[in-house]
Amino acid sequence: MGPTLLIGVDGATFSVLDPYMERGVMPFLRGLVERGTRAPLRSVMPPLTPPAWTSLVTGKRPGEHGVFDFFQKEEPDSVYFHFASSQDVRSETIWSLASDQGRRVISVNFPLMFPPPAVDGCVVPGGMMPWRQLRLGCHPPGLFDRLKQLPAFKPREMLDMELEVKAIEGCPDDEYAQWVESHIRREQRWGDVARHLIHEEPAELIGVMFDGVDKLQHLCWRFIDPACAPAQPSAWEQEMAERCQRYFSTLDAMIADLVALAGPDATVILASDHGFGPTRDVFHVNSWLEREGYLAWSDRSNGDADRAGTELGFAEMTRHVHAVDWTRTLAYAATASSQGINIVSRTPGTDDPLPEEVRRKLAGELSDGLRALRGPDGERPLVDEVWTREEAFSGPHAELGPDVSLILADGGTMSILPSETLVVRREEPRGHHRWEGIFIATGPGIRAGTKVDELSIVDIAPLVLHQLGLAVPDDMTGRVPIEILEEDELDRRPPRRVAAAASSHPVDRPAELDLDPDEQAEVLERLRALGYVE
Amino acid sequence: MTQIDPAVLESVLDLLNELSGDWEYEGVVGPDTYFLADLGLESLDIVVLGTMIQQQYGRLPFAEYLEELGQRPVEERDVSVAEVVAFVCEHRQPSFEEV
Repeated sequence: MGPTLLIGVDGATFSVLDPYMERGVMPFLRGLVERGTRAPLRSVMPPLTPPAWTSLVTGKRPGEHGVFDFFQKEEPDSVYFHFASSQDVRSETIWSLASDQGRRVISVNFPLMFPPPAVDGCVVPGGMMPWRQLRLGCHPPGLFDRLKQLPAFKPREMLDMELEVKAIEGCPDDEYAQWVESHIRREQRWGDVARHLIHEEPAELIGVMFDGVDKLQHLCWRFIDPACAPAQPSAWEQEMAERCQRYFSTLDAMIADLVALAGPDATVILASDHGFGPTRDVFHVNSWLEREGYLAWSDRSNGDADRAGTELGFAEMTRHVHAVDWTRTLAYAATASSQGINIVSRTPGTDDPLPEEVRRKLAGELSDGLRALRGPDGERPLVDEVWTREEAFSGPHAELGPDVSLILADGGTMSILPSETLVVRREEPRGHHRWEGIFIATGPGIRAGTKVDELSIVDIAPLVLHQLGLAVPDDMTGRVPIEILEEDELDRRPPRRVAAAASSHPVDRPAELDLDPDEQAEVLERLRALGYVE
Repeated sequence: MTQIDPAVLESVLDLLNELSGDWEYEGVVGPDTYFLADLGLESLDIVVLGTMIQQQYGRLPFAEYLEELGQRPVEERDVSVAEVVAFVCEHRQPSFEEV
């Protein structure tokens, strides 16, 4: 049996790839679709890189694996957030499961791989891994120095955070061209590292991530989506559309190289963590909370009032700790990316725990308030979907997630910065995340030329294990998507489930905050005095 | 003032000197080297270094420490190696004191 090659394409969506395939920009991908099975791939809540890729490699949802955002709550009752790392993934992954069962692995540019797991094989972490620390993230020891011998190995270019920030917050027009070119170069460098490892470190499970699609679609959606293209593009707009097209054409060639290297017997799975679509609206969620009386800014946040209305606060993530007056705040959004609102765990101004029934009541109030909001036209709802934590997440780590999660009606983005205007409309459309990502697979036992209905992102890990000849642990929520497999294959090798091994990632939980009835009454009385409950 | 454990200082300096070779930093990192002004690090670099240090010394209140740093006036946000080591020594858990 050949290796399993998992190619991650962050943010890829068929609404972009199909036109490029039809126009001959991505001929290899078109052939791959014709030779294999394709399906929309449903992401998880929130449809965001850290939780979604973690779901893809664990076969579990965020409440089950514990990753919700780029920054994580320290504890369920903490207002402090830390940078999410592999230590926050409280589950086995395809990397650890394959390695533990004698399958060598290569993992290139996947997020949440730092500190690297001690697998049999090679790990070069990606995501928000700072280039200066990449040495620490490479596994096994000595790999970084071996990679340094490669002309293509340029950590500074491969993990340039400035590219990331500009994707979200924007950049001047005269920087776009260089910005797109940087992504082409960056993908080529990651592709070269992957090719080198496939040559030199043969493995049964090879994972390679390309994350430029997400970045390009955030900033350059109007040059990529034919539906957004201006009828009479300026010379600059035409040039940008061509540059973006060149990015996708280069990506197609790199995918072709990797598939060729994996060999004719390989299983190839190409998947994205979420889809993409156009958006214009920016919702200043903390300012809405302030207006509704749930949040008060501290004196130290005054300087932010002059910021541009469409900035999301990427550089201010987690600064809520000092931007908010905790003696007068009940709910806050810590990051723009979380798509969520957190309710404080202490009664404002005290060290007393906020009673659970009050938390639930507040979550209900916030949900109702969000549903009642209207968009810039004053008529259509601003928010498309709202969930309380209980509705959005289940599992042992659900308490680390936001108390209320939302998806804006135009797929829009939240800003955590203060603003006089609650909803600010961008002049030009940007791209933002959607539920439907992509799934394409070819290989032994996989149907050719087939389209199937939507799969779930949590189905990928079981499929990877199945193709490696391994059983699927019974604690995985996902399933082997048998509709993509040929009948012969199912007869010959039906998917197998096994009891999950005892977790090697113990849950570090604080003691329960139990209050006796008198204490609860006292806390409620204090909240009434503050005007938080009736 | 917190006592600096020489073993912790040596360990952190070893780590930084190993990494700084990849940053085209030609000097030697010492206790008085500043992360931002001398090494040219960005805030996320310090966050990730914190993750590595915590792997060695157990969980530390790094998020709180970084938030506090972020609140200082811009010109006072930099921090020296000795200051970070003092923070580690002050907050490491007893079971990691011999590490």
